[in-house]
Amino acid sequence: MREQQLQDILRHMPAGVATLQGEALRFGFVNEAMQAVLGAPVQEGQAVADHPGTIPADLLDVMQQVFRSGRPYVAKSYGIPLPATDDQNPTPRYFDIALEPVREGDGPVSGLLLFAMDVTAQEEARQKAHHLAIETRRLDTRLRVLTETVPQITFTVDADGRYEYVSPQWYYYTGQPPTADLNAIWPLLIHPDDRLRVLYQSDSARAAGIGWSYEYRLRRHDGQYRWLLSRALPELHGPDQAVFWHGALTEVHDQRELAEALRRGEAELRFLADSIPELIWTATAEGFIDYYNEYTAEYSGLTKAELGPTGWINLLDPSEQAGAARRWVHSIATGEPYEGLFRMRRHDGRYRWHIIRARQLADERGPRWFGACTDVDDQHRLREVLQTQYDELARTNRDLDTFVYTASHDLKQPLLNLRGLFDELRRTATFDDPEEGEIVGMLDQALSQLDATLQELAETVEDQRGLSATPETLELRSVADEVLLGLRTQVQESGAVIDLDFAAAPTLTYGRANLRSILHNLFSNALKFADPTRPPHIQVRSGIANTGQPFLAVQDNGLGMKLPSHRAPVFQPFARQHPHIAGAGVGMYLVQRIVASRGGHLEVSSTVGAGTTFTVHWFGA
Amino acid sequence: MIHIVYMSRAVRPLSDQDLQSLLDQCRRDNAARNVTGVLFYSHGNIAQLIEGEKEVLEPLFEVISRDGRHSNVVKLVDKPISTRSFKDWSMAFHPIEPSGFEALQGFLLPHHLPPPPSSLSIADAMLVDLVKLAVFGADATPSEPTLAHA
Ligand SMILES: Cc1cc2nc3c(=O)[nH]c(=O)nc-3n(C[C@H](O)[C@H](O)[C@H](O)COP(=O)(O)O)c2cc1C
Repeated sequence: MREQQLQDILRHMPAGVATLQGEALRFGFVNEAMQAVLGAPVQEGQAVADHPGTIPADLLDVMQQVFRSGRPYVAKSYGIPLPATDDQNPTPRYFDIALEPVREGDGPVSGLLLFAMDVTAQEEARQKAHHLAIETRRLDTRLRVLTETVPQITFTVDADGRYEYVSPQWYYYTGQPPTADLNAIWPLLIHPDDRLRVLYQSDSARAAGIGWSYEYRLRRHDGQYRWLLSRALPELHGPDQAVFWHGALTEVHDQRELAEALRRGEAELRFLADSIPELIWTATAEGFIDYYNEYTAEYSGLTKAELGPTGWINLLDPSEQAGAARRWVHSIATGEPYEGLFRMRRHDGRYRWHIIRARQLADERGPRWFGACTDVDDQHRLREVLQTQYDELARTNRDLDTFVYTASHDLKQPLLNLRGLFDELRRTATFDDPEEGEIVGMLDQALSQLDATLQELAETVEDQRGLSATPETLELRSVADEVLLGLRTQVQESGAVIDLDFAAAPTLTYGRANLRSILHNLFSNALKFADPTRPPHIQVRSGIANTGQPFLAVQDNGLGMKLPSHRAPVFQPFARQHPHIAGAGVGMYLVQRIVASRGGHLEVSSTVGAGTTFTVHWFGA
Repeated sequence: MIHIVYMSRAVRPLSDQDLQSLLDQCRRDNAARNVTGVLFYSHGNIAQLIEGEKEVLEPLFEVISRDGRHSNVVKLVDKPISTRSFKDWSMAFHPIEPSGFEALQGFLLPHHLPPPPSSLSIADAMLVDLVKLAVFGADATPSEPTLAHA
């Protein structure tokens, strides 16, 4: 019964148990676990060598040697491939196999006891650990290579701020010997101006368990302090429990110097722009002003915000705003430089003339605009004064010429009369004194001289002013444009509208200077005698009269004048209808004389308060 | 009453459908809140002018500027106005398939945009011209040099 019990226990043991008998090692007792290990069913008395199962040749060989030598043997983690099943490939399983020789008393070995303990799980764990160790070593190597080849210095600090590790680059960079005491030396290498800040910043980051990123100067091997960026992140063991900080130091010296230079350059330029007593500004590629210098605020009395991206337009004289805006949009669209002369309102409401100029700068940062408004008010006013003075002088000069010219003409008739009277006197009177005859001769000579002088005077003026030039075929339009160009200041100032209509008779055969003189006088009179309550509107029209001869009519909407019963006095030199207006009279007298010299005549009609029309009939009918 | 002008960039190009649904939504919501103005869109460039009561416009601009469909929202103007310059709300862009859009209420082809209304100050009208130029480029914006300085 005890035997039976023992057999039961052995049969159900989780380890494989079998007995092998005799030289041939025939299976005796085989428990269930051993059956599973061997795979194929085992017949009692079957030799191990004949079993078709899983026992490999080397194990069989060892079994036979143990039988012969009588020395027990244990094979650790011996792999036996489990036979493949339908859906599984053969998988190796691992066993500790014990081979125990069996003797009858002191006799020779009669058999073997075979134990097989499944250690597959342990073996797999061991193998995994082995692979892990290899992989870890590989990663370690890689990390070391990396940390030692990157240009940065890498480091590890513990929670107390003690350096656990620093890559060899640190020694290389600082020139310190490998034996240097990191924790003592490092703080000493930090620039004195940065030291306290750095120590404090890293200390507070470690206390808070967070990473850091700051820049400081570290002494390089050559003694130069260079800017470095220090960045580190904590390694957490458990939530909020930082144990180590791993980080890197990157040299940012050159970038920092460059950025600093740029900042300094920009600040200097801005200072320069702010120091110049001119309105200076910059605009984006889209044309929006993004910077006004300080003087702009000073001049306009408006802040940058009040001016806004397009507010400079509001500073211009209202009549100039639309044109200035159109020009700016055009410049932005085309990239063409901007230039214009504008009146800009000062903080006190006074407008001053400015030249506004802007140019586009296109570089790798994209297009931007740089502009300046230069105050040219004084120059502009001076020019205006000079222009007025010049016009005045030119007119006086012309008047003087006209005076000389008319005087020489007008003196001709009395001289002629004098000559007639004198001849009559000489014919009828007799002189007793022979000396008196001489005087008569001298008088005659003087009269001839006077005549010649008057003639010369008239010719000089005619020559000087080109009035005696031979007639040519002239485009009325081009001569009129030329004359209006000379009068542009008056036209602009008065805001005059001038309609030129030469369609009916576009050309005229006349002396150029004469035509210019006539048009000049007619136009400037029309502008001069404008009604201050309305802008002048001058209509100029050429045509052919009923007589077949050309005429020119100049109609204005000016003050008008009272016409005397006969027209001559209107054109008397220096006879002025409007004494408050300078330089009238002489011009019209000249016009009349020129026209008369070609057989033509001047016609005038006028209504006080409504306007005047002059009609030049160029030639006699 | 105030008006606000801003420019921005679409995060990704807006399709015809995106634009049409924006048009529908804005026309509905803006009409309900009495907001008028105009929006320009081309190749990811966006500019918009909106006008209305301050209490309506400021929160609306907040919402618009946080809208994920665009970014880089730059406000150019935000200031009081005495009258509206736009009678309703409209959008101008180049649809890939224009046929369906022409009849749509509130839609305009960029080259059909009228010049800025004269009720705008010249500085503001110029601003609208400049944003139009920035969105559509020089080709779509007539810009002839003028004789203003001749
Ligand atoms: C470029 C752009 C312009 C917009 N303009 C308007 C607008 O004028 N009015 C409006 O109600 N929503 C406008 N929106 C939409 C708003 O950002 C928002 O999506 C919409 O008001 C819906 O908001 P809700 O979901 O709170 O109703 C615009 C969005 C974008 C991207």
